[in-house]
Amino acid sequence: MAHGNMRSFLAAIESTRDLITIDDEVDWDQELSGIGRLGCERNAPSFLFKHIKDYPGWRIACNPIATWRRMAIAFGLRPEAPVPELYATYAEREQHLIAPVKVKDSPCKEVVIPGDKVNLFDLPVPMVHEGDGGRYLGTWDLVVSKDAKTDWVNWGMYRFMVHNERLLTGFPRPTSHLGKMLLDGYVPQGKPMPIAIAIGCDPLCHLAAAATFRISGNESELAGGLRRAPVELVKCETSDLYVPAEAEIVIEADVYPDRVNQEGPYGEYPGYRSGEMGNAICARVRAITHRRDPILTLDTTGFMDSSATTTSISGAIAIQRRLEANSIPVKAVYVPPEGGVHLAIVSVRKGGADIARKVVETLTVRRALISKVIVVDEDVDVFNMAAVLHAFATKCHPANGIHVTRYVGRANTLTPAYTQEERVTRTGASVAFDATWPPDWAKDATPVRATLDSMYSPDIQRRVLARWKALGL
Amino acid sequence: MSKEYEIFARNPERVLSGREVVVTLRDLSPGRRKYRGINVRAVVSRPPRPGEPTLWIRSVVGLRDPQPCSVRIVEELPEAFEAVPYSDFFEAMERAERR
Repeated sequence: MAHGNMRSFLAAIESTRDLITIDDEVDWDQELSGIGRLGCERNAPSFLFKHIKDYPGWRIACNPIATWRRMAIAFGLRPEAPVPELYATYAEREQHLIAPVKVKDSPCKEVVIPGDKVNLFDLPVPMVHEGDGGRYLGTWDLVVSKDAKTDWVNWGMYRFMVHNERLLTGFPRPTSHLGKMLLDGYVPQGKPMPIAIAIGCDPLCHLAAAATFRISGNESELAGGLRRAPVELVKCETSDLYVPAEAEIVIEADVYPDRVNQEGPYGEYPGYRSGEMGNAICARVRAITHRRDPILTLDTTGFMDSSATTTSISGAIAIQRRLEANSIPVKAVYVPPEGGVHLAIVSVRKGGADIARKVVETLTVRRALISKVIVVDEDVDVFNMAAVLHAFATKCHPANGIHVTRYVGRANTLTPAYTQEERVTRTGASVAFDATWPPDWAKDATPVRATLDSMYSPDIQRRVLARWKALGL
Repeated sequence: MSKEYEIFARNPERVLSGREVVVTLRDLSPGRRKYRGINVRAVVSRPPRPGEPTLWIRSVVGLRDPQPCSVRIVEELPEAFEAVPYSDFFEAMERAERR
């Protein structure tokens, strides 16, 4: 079974030693996030900090599902479940959306702070990295917004920084669903856009929020599918938005249609602080509600942060679906965590330059988060990076196997390789590395891979493997 | 301990021009309100002037210039600048400066 809320999930990962509780006082100013950062880099357990300097009574949970083990536990699987099994689980469950249910009562309403009493500095918002533009509240969050013209409700995971007692600035990219809702619906009407930032929900709700999901799709239904149980939602205090009832903390705010303020810079999921500051949104908090003993959640963003699992799995499945919808003979897709969600491995049943070109063009039509795609033949296991690297290094023609597509207005502004000018204009490029054999090569002249499974007869393979086993290897 | 602030600058020369400029300061005073933002019209000096709060300038990727400055706050400004969301914040500050 998946978990009903974050607390039952934390208990589960504690029981498997995937959570370490820290009782000593830790500083919210870089120290606790530094511990979490190292945890990401060393594939370490999650941390629950129980005593935060300046903030008695508050706790912070760090990087809830930043490892495949914790992701497996979130799905209700055994911690050792291999990555392809997690991918298959996600792919199967996302096909069975489950509508949320509305409830009246919620633990996240135990404390209700109205706008005139709100002080964001009463929350132990961490300073995540030295040199960030400010303290970041929304690193592992779920931001609810509603389209101005339709019933479309969006959940997204977007970063928010504290400016002062009531003002937040944030960076849902303009190409994000929230950004689209704001620019297409609220800004033209000069209306503030209500949002609700839910923090500390069950991890599959956050996974759904971070997922690449279709425009007009409601991620609360995706969360229900991933959990195999409906998400309970409760109404906000100051708007008609609904948030997960089991959230630890909810911040209700209005995004200004006509105001900006400093946001960033911030050390982000690609593993860099890239100087993308200066193009953000600005929101005024109207209420905060939370549990009596709340747990703030934190993703210590950077190399191998939670996106290493969340965006990897949801992004890969979304890529696979999109390629299938565009008649590309895709077999499997993997977004390796080490690639900072900038690299995808795509195996295809039929390769060649035309297919590679079509792959990269299809993946950059609306927005372009992935900048590099390695296309391999179907006999290459996309989850086996040694095999992928071998195919890339040997089969990708250094002159003819590289297919670049360029675009303006939809590039990923967090891509470290881009100049500041490219970031401002969202100008960029993506490339497909064609590591497949050209389809017009005769089979009897195509190189044969010199591995046991390719260059030996089935009989010899059987005998070698039997001998191997007998040797205890 | 004397007061300290930091700012993030795309163009440090503008900030260090000696004239009144609009900037967003981050208050580095220890405690719960550390890193609170405040928009101001101010004059920045390098080398620092005695009696003025210390100011550190960071680049757009957050690297701190090791040479300190000082800042004299002339006027506190509203908490946000008029501009459409996703507008360039530095340009919005420069527009406010010209008013």
